[in-house]
Amino acid sequence: MTPTTHSTGPEMKDAPRSYLKMFSRLEVRMLGLALVVAITLSILSPYFLKAANLLNLLDQSVVVGIVAIGMTFVILTGGIDLSVGSVAGLTGVILGLSLRHFPIPVSVFLAVLSGAGIGLFSGFLIAYFDVAAFVITLGVMAIGRSLAYIFSGQTSITDIPPEINDLVYTTVFGIQSNVLTLLALYALAWAYLAYTKGGRTIYAVGSNREAARTAGLSVLYYSVLPYVISGALSAVAATLMSAQILSIDPLAGNLLELDAIAAVVIGGASLYGGRGTIIGTLIGVFIMVMIRNGLNLLGVSPFWQGSAIGGIIIAAVLAERLLNPKARR
Amino acid sequence: MATSGSVLLEARDITKSFAGTKALVGAGLTLRAGQTHALLGANGAGKSTLSRVVSGHVRRDNGTIHYEERPLDFKSPREALDAGIAMVMQETSLASDLSVVENIFLPELRHPGRLSFPAMRRRANEILADLGQDRTVSLDSEVRDLSVAQRQLVEIAKALALKSNLIIFDEPTASLSPSEVERLFDIIGRLEDAGCAIVFVSHRLEEVFAIADEITVMREGRTVATSLPTSSLNQTELVRLMVGRDLGSIFTGSAGSKTLQKNPILSARHLNAPPLVRDVSFDLHRGEILGLGGLVGAGRSEVVETLFGLRQRAAGELFLDGEPFAPRSPSQAIRAGLGFVAEDRRRQSIVPDLSVRENLMLGHLGARRGFGLGYRSLDGKIRDLMQRLELSSDRLDDDNLLNFSGGMQQKIIIARWLLLEPKVLILDEPTKGVDIGTRASIYTILRDIAARGTAIVIISSEFQELLGLADRVIVISDGLSIADVPSANLDEEKLTLLAAPRSSMERNQRILRDLAAEHNGAAFWAILDEERMFCLNCVAANPSTDLGFHAGSTTRFEETPIGAALAARSEDFVFDPKSGLSSILVDVKSHRDHELGSIGLVLGRSQPVPASASLRASIIERFRATV
Repeated sequence: MTPTTHSTGPEMKDAPRSYLKMFSRLEVRMLGLALVVAITLSILSPYFLKAANLLNLLDQSVVVGIVAIGMTFVILTGGIDLSVGSVAGLTGVILGLSLRHFPIPVSVFLAVLSGAGIGLFSGFLIAYFDVAAFVITLGVMAIGRSLAYIFSGQTSITDIPPEINDLVYTTVFGIQSNVLTLLALYALAWAYLAYTKGGRTIYAVGSNREAARTAGLSVLYYSVLPYVISGALSAVAATLMSAQILSIDPLAGNLLELDAIAAVVIGGASLYGGRGTIIGTLIGVFIMVMIRNGLNLLGVSPFWQGSAIGGIIIAAVLAERLLNPKARR
Repeated sequence: MATSGSVLLEARDITKSFAGTKALVGAGLTLRAGQTHALLGANGAGKSTLSRVVSGHVRRDNGTIHYEERPLDFKSPREALDAGIAMVMQETSLASDLSVVENIFLPELRHPGRLSFPAMRRRANEILADLGQDRTVSLDSEVRDLSVAQRQLVEIAKALALKSNLIIFDEPTASLSPSEVERLFDIIGRLEDAGCAIVFVSHRLEEVFAIADEITVMREGRTVATSLPTSSLNQTELVRLMVGRDLGSIFTGSAGSKTLQKNPILSARHLNAPPLVRDVSFDLHRGEILGLGGLVGAGRSEVVETLFGLRQRAAGELFLDGEPFAPRSPSQAIRAGLGFVAEDRRRQSIVPDLSVRENLMLGHLGARRGFGLGYRSLDGKIRDLMQRLELSSDRLDDDNLLNFSGGMQQKIIIARWLLLEPKVLILDEPTKGVDIGTRASIYTILRDIAARGTAIVIISSEFQELLGLADRVIVISDGLSIADVPSANLDEEKLTLLAAPRSSMERNQRILRDLAAEHNGAAFWAILDEERMFCLNCVAANPSTDLGFHAGSTTRFEETPIGAALAARSEDFVFDPKSGLSSILVDVKSHRDHELGSIGLVLGRSQPVPASASLRASIIERFRATV
């Protein structure tokens, strides 16, 4: 990279610019992309902008959106978590089995706790032994799915108390509780990443691990934590998924990791770590869900949807690389 | 192949800049077939760059190279290899998963067609046998399992497989044991006999004297002495050539003697952290600037990394303010009051995805306990700091520290630690890649914080800077702290001589020890001029023969208890009536007849004085055998 002084000089005197600048970067570009998609779809399909469909969009964003939060944390440290889908499947089964013996809050707690435990296991192996995250989480992915089948006895668990439905369908100001959960989790994650020591440490670790260590940051702790968060949030997503359909399939969450990674990448995060925001991820989730939804409305064959999503991922990453000089390493 | 002694390669007026920094400004080199040519210079003098220009790894900006009387312009190492020029690098360029024989013939892989392994094995065996090394390494071992010396051998064989007749060795002995060095010299001898021209780049002066026919000395990107016959030089002259005489005035504010507090703030005792730190001891006081001097690779950085918890020690003790101190991570060291400006800014200091302000705050974040950031509380402090460092606060809102100049980057990183007000601040090569103006302001800041009581440890390969800045210098050589000298008593020449890794240092020490023990006296190795002696090493077996000087000290003759003997330079023992000591001085030379200073033997009052002629002969013989 050539040394430049583009951001110095008199224009730097306008102090508020720096705050604007923080926001002007990635999120705004992504928001622009989201709007383009939304406008295009609303022109193509008059139903797209109807209130019912918009609520439907939010509802469809919940599961992948929650998992994408954990994925953002992991990707910020330069890692990846391929196991989220199968952890969702396994923790769903654990929830279903617990519900046979315990009340709902205890069962949910157990499911989330086991998700966090699985995350701790992968995260520790990855960070302590410095092994590729791809490989460890690939292994955990296979183990998780296999355990989900074994624990569930290879069938769906349907004997769950219908009251669990309240986790999804309680409404506050007309908004479903699962959507509120999604938004609350995003708000928390955003505040954590922007305004706490832990959040900034996660960025520093992903951007330059060696420098973070030399500056005295707890590199090991903050390399493991994202996997714990990711595992726990996979369980939260599994809970809301099960609560919505009142049935738990051991295959639930299959390929969820691909959607989550796609959302994070479309949201502008770098797979090398250190770059990306939680707001970007949320926009990435919306873009993906909108495209799925729009293609459904337009009657496009579901077989084409994969091509569409894949194309968007590649285009988003290429655009980011070409537009943002900092993205060139 | 050219006949021995004829000019094989001639490079003239080579210039080369890297990103604005001039690495070479008018360098030249003349190489002859069948001869070994040493390329010498201080750290950063341009030796490696010049070698890499000749071997095609780096393209020159200007200048001419003639090779076998034809002009040359290599675009890649490949072309240089085809022309018969090969380089054996510090970090070897072998494919570690392939076998020895595959590596030797790696260049063959670019030719189409089938490889004949039996033919390759036969050729490899011939090459190794020609070098007398066919038993040193098995053709089928994987390269990853080989020692450094064996890998080097494979590199040499690889060069010979291409019929190279010019081989450049870049610091080949840096990580070899003495016996491996011997073997390498034997190989180089055979290559010479076969008519190859050899370039030998090394810091180790004794080795240069041992094998080189001619010497070219570089300083600051220039050749300051071209093709001097080795036999016309001695070590002192060579060091003078490497160091140069022109000292700048930037360090005029140098501290001189400070009154130090009695209790050190930080002490190291016999620090050991394999492989590079072997035995290092020193004391550091409040308000003091302590320099760690030595060559690149001597273990200086590893010593400070051990202090800072980045590297675990195997043995030895550390004390901070008198309390045992055992940092297992940088965060422990930081909380104990240490700060560390690391050598490689890009790798160890800069977090590119955080803003400049957050980069500045990173040490604070590491030291902080608690959940939030606590950035606000530092606003005032940061404003002060920015003023002291002559930085505009506006620049803190830039989003990429990498866009700053090297000097600005370094100021921000130094500010990162100053923000924490450390008791001990460690800086590893703080002015590397920093412009001269910023250097001056970094020096000012360091003196300023030292005056306020901070203890500073500084590593610098620029001896001029080290001597100008530090109050005291600990010389580190081959992982040992070999001298502790006030910088007022040192100059670049002495520092260079002290820092030069003596492959024979241990054997040397043994000779002195044996000599002192046999005669129950003291033995020393020193360089003498008209009125002063500079002690390189000293061993006393008998307490009554305490000489009052030690390794690294410079003393006027009359200040020593053996002044009469030093001044007389007699062939025989000289009795000094003041101290009652008898001493003899023997000038020693290497087996190539290079002066290596003098060995002294000092006997106490009551000791029998041996026959001086046979003693002289025995000392000369013993010493010659070691170097």
